[in-house]
Amino acid sequence: MKINRKKIFALNDTVYPNGTSAITVKYLTKTYNGKKAVDNISFSVKKGEIFGFLGPNGAGKTTTIKSILGLIKIDSGEIKINGFDIRKSEKNAKKNIGYLPEKVAFYDNLTALQNLLFYAKIKNVSKEECLSLLEEFGLGDSTNKKVGKFSKGMVQRLGMIRAIMGKPHILILDEPSSGLDPKGVLQIRNKIKELNRNGSTVFISSHILSEIQKICDRVGIINKGVLVAKDTVETLSKKLNLKPQMIIELDKISDKITKSISDIKGIDRIEVKEKTINVICDSETKAKVILAIAKAGGNILNLQTHEPSLEEVFMRYTGGDI
Amino acid sequence: MLDIIINIAKKEFMDNIRNKWIIIITILFASLTLLASYAGSIYSEGWQDLGVTMSIMSGLVNFLITIIALILGYSAIIGEIEKGSMNSLLSLPAKRLEIVLGKFFGLGMVLTSTILIGFGIAGIIIGFNVPDVKYDEYLIFIGATILVGLVFLSIGIFLSCLFRKRSTAMGGAIFVFFLFTIIWQFIVFALLIITSSFNIENAALPDWYFALNFFNPLGAYGSLLSLNIPSIAAQQTELIAVEYPSFFNTTNMLITLILWLFIPLILAYWRFKNKDI
Repeated sequence: MKINRKKIFALNDTVYPNGTSAITVKYLTKTYNGKKAVDNISFSVKKGEIFGFLGPNGAGKTTTIKSILGLIKIDSGEIKINGFDIRKSEKNAKKNIGYLPEKVAFYDNLTALQNLLFYAKIKNVSKEECLSLLEEFGLGDSTNKKVGKFSKGMVQRLGMIRAIMGKPHILILDEPSSGLDPKGVLQIRNKIKELNRNGSTVFISSHILSEIQKICDRVGIINKGVLVAKDTVETLSKKLNLKPQMIIELDKISDKITKSISDIKGIDRIEVKEKTINVICDSETKAKVILAIAKAGGNILNLQTHEPSLEEVFMRYTGGDI
Repeated sequence: MLDIIINIAKKEFMDNIRNKWIIIITILFASLTLLASYAGSIYSEGWQDLGVTMSIMSGLVNFLITIIALILGYSAIIGEIEKGSMNSLLSLPAKRLEIVLGKFFGLGMVLTSTILIGFGIAGIIIGFNVPDVKYDEYLIFIGATILVGLVFLSIGIFLSCLFRKRSTAMGGAIFVFFLFTIIWQFIVFALLIITSSFNIENAALPDWYFALNFFNPLGAYGSLLSLNIPSIAAQQTELIAVEYPSFFNTTNMLITLILWLFIPLILAYWRFKNKDI
């Protein structure tokens, strides 16, 4: 049976009222040498949200990002940024975008400040802001150093400064943590959150799923050029019937305790190992499990709960490819 | 629009100052001109006047300016695409036309300033050592050299937009260099021989021979010099008495060079506009 994707979009995609979508992608298709890199995908990114864009290598993430930015000619579809069509009103569409590409590059013969000032002039950003951002990102001492002599991490941080200078309304970040040490990763994450709190919409593509899960309001998963899922991690987990896991450590385990748990509705699986019980159940059932153990005379020494991870969701939607 | 073009041009200029390109080429131009003036003549020793220097230099310039302008131009666009910096530039409110023009003006400034400074310094030094210097002819020589340099820069930028890889664009630039500096001469001579058009007895050349200059910027450049600088014309007429057809004049040569400058630049923009980054 032939599926009409346009109809699916119309029924399933969240349609935001006029003026509330920061990025709107409708029926985007891009072909390279006869092969569809992106096949009729549609999604919207709400103003003020952090949207994670995930997919295995070669799934079409970068093609989508490049299409959004007007860097490549699309075969068909419509892309709007802040209501402006990227093809028809390119300048207006790009006025308030900050972009960090996957492969960050600068002019090696120019210093960090000279590089930033070049972009700053096009974005109408002051020299003071450039200097302040260089300080904030720990590059204050390298202001007058040629970028050609920078380490990968320093180039990445400079790339982040270029993306966020002028406090853009929309930030498009392709692998922002690439090449950074843990401190740098934390700094970038905090900065993304801060910018988002101040009203910026963030569209982020990353391989580090834990990072995405920590900061994103919604995610979109693309696989082989097709957008296979888009929603909150929680909703996607529910759709996939992924359930939380409880690891309960007791001073001793009796038959009475295990029976009291197994009688509860909404439990998927119970595993007993020495003094530990692993329970996979619905979110709403977690409290009932603890109550049942207490009623059966169990003494809980330790309790851990693992919510379904984005990694599990991702694996299920992409067939395990990363 | 103008702000962005100037900003990109300034960046290109600054980038080339930083990587010592400008300094190296300027020194090369100045020293070659001085060398041509001091040791270029086999007829007499010591400093030669600017006329002799220009006639020696015009041959060298054919090779030097062509290769330098093509080197500056061929990686201007594709180099940035391959490196990744074009992504960021195009994510800003900068149009592709502004980028092409900014690159052309910036690199054009590099080329112009090296020619002006290099030939200028050499001209002043020669002027101190030689009496009766014709600076007006020297200025025509410098002006025509700048123009032909910009033509090859424009061709270089077109190649940079035409090809998908920097290495292929470099191959294209090498081909263009050999085509216009060496292969062209062979083609012209081959045509003369095949058509038996050259009459050695009265040294008459067919009109189409002169018209071929419109199809090679170096031909138009050489013609422009020989039409306006007597010492260069004298060097040619020493070998053969030439009678020029009516269309072979300064205006047409200037128009030819200007067309050679604009057409590749327009094609470069058209190609870049439709290019996936």
